[in-house]
Amino acid sequence: MNDAAIGTRPRETFTGSDSRTDVNDINIAGSESTPRIRADGSAGRLEMSGDSYPENSFELFQPVLEWVGAFLDGGGTRPLAVDLQLLYLNTSSVRAMMEIFDTLQEAHERGRAVSVTWRYDRKNERVADLAGEFKEDYTFPFEIVPES
Amino acid sequence: MEQVDVLTLREAFTRQGIMLGFNGPFSATLMEEIGKALRKHMEGLAESPSAVTDVFSAYIELSQNIRHYAASRGVSGAAAEATIIVSRDEDGRYVVSAGNVVLTEDGEGLVQRIAALAAMDKAELKAAFKTQMRAPRDPDAKTGAGLGLIDLARRASAPLQCNLKPLDDAHAFFSLRVVI
Repeated sequence: MNDAAIGTRPRETFTGSDSRTDVNDINIAGSESTPRIRADGSAGRLEMSGDSYPENSFELFQPVLEWVGAFLDGGGTRPLAVDLQLLYLNTSSVRAMMEIFDTLQEAHERGRAVSVTWRYDRKNERVADLAGEFKEDYTFPFEIVPES
Repeated sequence: MEQVDVLTLREAFTRQGIMLGFNGPFSATLMEEIGKALRKHMEGLAESPSAVTDVFSAYIELSQNIRHYAASRGVSGAAAEATIIVSRDEDGRYVVSAGNVVLTEDGEGLVQRIAALAAMDKAELKAAFKTQMRAPRDPDAKTGAGLGLIDLARRASAPLQCNLKPLDDAHAFFSLRVVI
């Protein structure tokens, strides 16, 4: 029966939340095909670095999308800084990143302070191309920073 | 069945400029390992990071397309069979080719999509990529939702080329060639 499941909101399944209704932080080690992901609610910070080309990117990014949604939801006012050092993304990871950026954009339009900084090795133009194409679609602060 | 003749195979590989090739059932892990070898090999040749990314990306998208296709047709992940070849042509350009057995009607659909993509210029491909990225996603879909082929066309330095060879009443061998 589905009725029972409908009553269980994902948010209520988080355990160990403190009184500030912070969502659980995320700390996922990277692998050959998945990025390192750290989400720190108290610092207002989300970091992702490395390559991302798992077969099922949605499984990987769904908790991140939920974390971002929860952090920016619920009447909070703290800014969110997203720090990326992502390299190669397969197309399903690109699609998942778009959903995360869309969530940032919605919050930005409600007046919430959100920003993205995407650092990359200046020799790898493909990262700059990818980041640049994302940036075109959003109006929140989106910095693409070449590093040597 | 013909006996395996390693030297003849090797000579065919050399004649066709094949650097790396695979044929048979391939798991996600094996796919990752081959990808890693491909990257290391190209880095060893001192190729630019952009070139390595483009070739690696074509290899990944082609392999994952085939694995997702097999899964969508009820072939379990480990038994997904494919032929994947990375080679260099006479101009030194990298060519990533891949093929797999498909239902003939699926193959015909692919041939039409490839023809449509081959007719687009870079600006049209970019627009098509963004449109497809924003297309509503089937909540159960685990794939890039049709972005893979457009991405391949964008990274290619020549229009995508494909071939569909009938095998029996219902099946055909679909192959795709991407020149980077």
